[in-house]
Amino acid sequence: MEIYHTLYITLLIILSFMLLICLIRAVKGPRIADRLMAVNMMGTMVMVMISILALMLKEGYLVDICLIYAMISFLAVVVLSKVYIGIYEERQHHLEAAKGGEPDERS
Amino acid sequence: MSAVEWIRFLIGSLFLLTGMVIFFTELFGVFHFNFVLNRMHAAAMGDTLGISSCLIGLMIFSGVNFTTLKLFFIIVFLWFSSPVSSHVLSRLEVATNPKLSEHCEIYEDVAVLEQELAAKKDTEFTTEKEAYKS
Repeated sequence: MEIYHTLYITLLIILSFMLLICLIRAVKGPRIADRLMAVNMMGTMVMVMISILALMLKEGYLVDICLIYAMISFLAVVVLSKVYIGIYEERQHHLEAAKGGEPDERS
Repeated sequence: MSAVEWIRFLIGSLFLLTGMVIFFTELFGVFHFNFVLNRMHAAAMGDTLGISSCLIGLMIFSGVNFTTLKLFFIIVFLWFSSPVSSHVLSRLEVATNPKLSEHCEIYEDVAVLEQELAAKKDTEFTTEKEAYKS
């Protein structure tokens, strides 16, 4: 089927350009939440690309990989958010300890 | 290709193109807004509606087999996981941004916001009533 193949190739090219724009957002993003959000968007687009490839190459097992990709992308976002909240709180704790510690050293 | 095949192809490609348009809208929104919590609003749309539309188009192409069932499971998983990841990301932003009050109003207590909203609703309701009477 020539027409299906043409459609799939066109969609893959469009998606790869969109992926590049998402990457620009991830590089530009001023805060960590921006970058994580861009990574999440890239994960969504890569999932569509893998599903299109699964139908284009007629390999059903690629859809399993897509499901696992969805789970790992979700896990990455949740774990990285928790890790950055932890790092921020630890840094605040150190700053407060340093501010509180100075008068003690002088006295 | 027969007529039925053509109709299937057209419906499937319509769904896929809808998904592409939604992804494009998502990208436009992500570059248009200038605060993370606004951008997240645009980004969550592609996570649920965009990928559902694309995968429904692919399900129509694939026909009735196990691949269709797996694609359906991906949609269901994303329906559950996308709100959770958005919630966790917004918690990250609220917890780590010291200048949050420059971008949005912050209420220490939810009850204050509810009271304000109720007061607003009452005034709007009364003005509407007066407009109806006059």
